[in-house]
Amino acid sequence: MDAFRIFIVEDDLLYGEMLRHHLSLNPDNEVHLFRNGNECLKNLYRSPAMVSLDYSLPDMSGLEVMRQIKKEYSDIPVIIVSGQEDVSTAVALLREGAYDYFVKDDDVKDRLWNVIKKIRENLQLRSEISYLKEEIGRKYEFRNVIKGNSPSIKQIFGLIEKSIKTNISVSITGETGTGKELVAKAIHYNSARAKKPFVAVNVSAIPRDLIESEMFGHEKGSFTGAITRKIGKFEQASGGTIFLDEVAEMDHNMQSKLLRVLQERELTRVGGNDLIKIDVRLIVATNRNLAEEVQKGNFREDLYYRLLGLPIELPPLRYRGNDIILLAKYFMDEFCHENKMPKLSITEAAQQKLMQYAFPGNVRELRAVIELAAVLTDDEQIDENHISFNSTDSAGNLLMEESTLQEYTLKIIRYYLQKYNNNVLLVAKKLDIGKSTIYRLIKEKQI
Amino acid sequence: MTQNANKLYHLDKLENFMSNDQAAVKNMVGLFLQTTPELLASINKGFQEKDAALLTKSAHTLKPTLDIFGIDAMYDPIRKIEKAGKENTMNAETEQLIDQLNQILDKVFADLRAKFDL
Repeated sequence: MDAFRIFIVEDDLLYGEMLRHHLSLNPDNEVHLFRNGNECLKNLYRSPAMVSLDYSLPDMSGLEVMRQIKKEYSDIPVIIVSGQEDVSTAVALLREGAYDYFVKDDDVKDRLWNVIKKIRENLQLRSEISYLKEEIGRKYEFRNVIKGNSPSIKQIFGLIEKSIKTNISVSITGETGTGKELVAKAIHYNSARAKKPFVAVNVSAIPRDLIESEMFGHEKGSFTGAITRKIGKFEQASGGTIFLDEVAEMDHNMQSKLLRVLQERELTRVGGNDLIKIDVRLIVATNRNLAEEVQKGNFREDLYYRLLGLPIELPPLRYRGNDIILLAKYFMDEFCHENKMPKLSITEAAQQKLMQYAFPGNVRELRAVIELAAVLTDDEQIDENHISFNSTDSAGNLLMEESTLQEYTLKIIRYYLQKYNNNVLLVAKKLDIGKSTIYRLIKEKQI
Repeated sequence: MTQNANKLYHLDKLENFMSNDQAAVKNMVGLFLQTTPELLASINKGFQEKDAALLTKSAHTLKPTLDIFGIDAMYDPIRKIEKAGKENTMNAETEQLIDQLNQILDKVFADLRAKFDL
């Protein structure tokens, strides 16, 4: 950490020197003493970590100096150290934004020491937070997050870039596991709002009765169980982005409340009267077709248009061609790296198997499949035997294989025979084919 | 150090403030001897010329110094002097308090000069 620069503004030379001596005992502190307000203000460009300010100065009052400091550098904590024992002065200064107020008595040096410790800790936390925020930003640099070379995903990149530049609402649609939340985060962390919060709300996961208070907060005592005031997700996301996932699951009552909030750009907490201004960017996602929901009467049309903004439709993985292999390799490398395993490779046959599968669970499913394969393999290679699918949509998968009709026929007969314990008569009846056909296929060893 | 002056002040608070660094204590005593006579002169001038602002400001600045140097007999008087200036009610009592302040501080100056060889 750099030196902790402290400005002492004190016209009493003796007291100033005493403070300087005391605070310099910590070698990390770099203490500068100024005898009047102007001198301090002229040196603010050196960005002190804190200012200890005497209230009565020869050229201007401590209050004026503090106001000037706060005007230009609102983050610098200002501590008033004064001979003034009057409580109302202290209160007024604290209201104006003083970090603390000490009377020049015996305890002042310990108090100052402690408050500096607190400020230092605070500063350290703040720098850690800003470092982490940058890290997150890097993590969500969208080309790092969303992998792919297929034309359909390149089109999505173009849309994300457009949405980053403005505050427009974004509606993301796509099957489960296509990365809707990832896209929302990528938009947020690459936009001008990146340093403010990203708050994700899964609408379907919140019980109907609680959703309003979850979104808009509530006042203490507004309903049974509201024992304290609660700040809602919209307020939490102030200045940042709110991401409403599964927005189609919202009931009509909540839809009209949300519409009002979006139109007025202000909200009232449940049980409260105050109107609270909100400044949030809205990103919504759904795996349903909202337009269809509007037609069916399940979703308000006016809200639909307000939410639509820039629509981004994420393609299912099965339409992304070679991205499947690209992503598989990426997940494989990532898994090995995270688990400190040697790098793995993937055989041609295993790649073939992945390409033939429908991935109803999309990228999320691919990741799980690859991670399982990486665990199952005993050498440094993933082959087709390590790849197993647990999909529930087996008909879809079957079609993905793109076999000939003849091959499909054989598969179906094999499936029935297995199911009905090789009872040829029963299978022939079920499939409405001649039993001789089955016998012939068995004889030809096709089955 | 005379017995009398010994009661007029004590350096416990200053030594504590300076973390018992004797060289630093001596430095501060030097600064005290340099700055306090000026403040005292301003208090006197403020009273004589009925300059309430000057009186208030000087008394206000001197107040914590007297506390730190353990000049406890002046704890109340310096506050009364400051208040008289602030409320512009300087009277005979104020004059008496200022006299007392002059006398005590003169003794303290002399004693500190001798003690610290300044």
